[in-house]
Amino acid sequence: MRNAPQRSRAIVSRPLSKRSLYIAGSALLVAACALILNAAAYANTPTIRLFPTTVVEDLKQTGNVARDMETGLQEVIGRLDQQQQLYNESKCDGADNDPGCQRLARQIGATYLDMLTIMEERLPDMEHTVNNTRNSLEKGLRNELGKKMTPWTLQETLIGTSASAAETRSAPTLRGRSGMRLSERFNQYYQLVATSGAKGDQSLAVLASDIYLDMEETSLLIQRTRQEIARATLMEQLNQSFGIITPEMIEVVGGVKSILFGNADDLPAVSGPPPGAIEQAYRSPLEQ
Amino acid sequence: MYKKNLAILLATVLLASCASKPPECVSPQTRNLDSAIGAAQTALINGCHAHFDRYYDDLLSIAEGDPGPENKRSFSEFLVWSSDKGLLSKRQAQDYYNRYFNVKFMSLKGDYNNCSQTCPNKRKVLLDMERELSDKERGLLRVSLDNEGYYRADQLYQEVELVLEATCTACAAGR
Repeated sequence: MRNAPQRSRAIVSRPLSKRSLYIAGSALLVAACALILNAAAYANTPTIRLFPTTVVEDLKQTGNVARDMETGLQEVIGRLDQQQQLYNESKCDGADNDPGCQRLARQIGATYLDMLTIMEERLPDMEHTVNNTRNSLEKGLRNELGKKMTPWTLQETLIGTSASAAETRSAPTLRGRSGMRLSERFNQYYQLVATSGAKGDQSLAVLASDIYLDMEETSLLIQRTRQEIARATLMEQLNQSFGIITPEMIEVVGGVKSILFGNADDLPAVSGPPPGAIEQAYRSPLEQ
Repeated sequence: MYKKNLAILLATVLLASCASKPPECVSPQTRNLDSAIGAAQTALINGCHAHFDRYYDDLLSIAEGDPGPENKRSFSEFLVWSSDKGLLSKRQAQDYYNRYFNVKFMSLKGDYNNCSQTCPNKRKVLLDMERELSDKERGLLRVSLDNEGYYRADQLYQEVELVLEATCTACAAGR
């Protein structure tokens, strides 16, 4: 009888362990099924490779080069602004024969030449990194979206099979970034690309397209600017002997300022559409 | 004998006139969508199938007068019925439905890759999409009050425009 409780425990414990085993087995089975289903779903999701690590690095590098150029130009442009202000306050506009005004104009011209020199020094680096980024993105876009996709699959990638309304609203909308510092723009690109792993393919395709088109445009502008710098430098060297300020000079400085440091007034103020209020639960059997 | 011949002739003429008389194919007169769909179905099954486009347009106009999310189902059922009765092929029925009531663009149907098929015809593709977007405005926004669906379609149009511009530039560059 002394052994009775032990036996009864043993009797009770035997079916319990069987049940535990059964539960554990079921849990494992469910987990395995979930894993297989997950893996299958993942395998069915087309993954597009638009941002290899080289692109991320190139964007970072371009941002650094742009920041260096801004730092170098900021001081020169500040000086140019002060000289311009002094020139205007001294009522030199139209007083070309005044020796004081001629001296001021020469000083402005010399500062302008400094600005052109800094740009000439920095632009090749900038051009190199911008072109690298553009070429990598170009290859990705051509292969992944151009050659591997039909228009229908491209549409399905953009729409995203499971994109919720909230995700859609948070998708990047980047076009029209004037009013932003060049380095900040590249920094924003870098941040977007570096954190894009969690986002769907749909936003990656839009992001890659946006950056690529911007790089293409930037590359062309740098190329043209470099050609123009040589001409503008020669012109200014000639002007130095006469001590005059050309309207072109003022225009170029204004352009450089707006490209590099942005202009807050140019920021687009377009509001998004109001969110739909009606839940659409109905799905037609005809829907594709 | 003469009377009998006359009767036969008269009957023949009457029968011939009945046989050649085309159906009137009038548009649904009611403003109620369900009744209008019923009227359209009767007309379509009685020889007016050549006027399918007009009937579909009439039904959309009637639905615009009483918009609501449930209209999607009415149109879907009408198109499934049309397909079952052989008035439309299944693909045609899908096209009619998706063009008006789905976010996705039927203009982007195609079996070949973008570099070879879409890019050479980019302008036409975008023009077709623009036209389809205006049909979606009618179907999603004005008939079904599906604002979110319509704005998503509009956004999708803009995204496709941007991505195609980049992709086609990349395809053409071939660096």
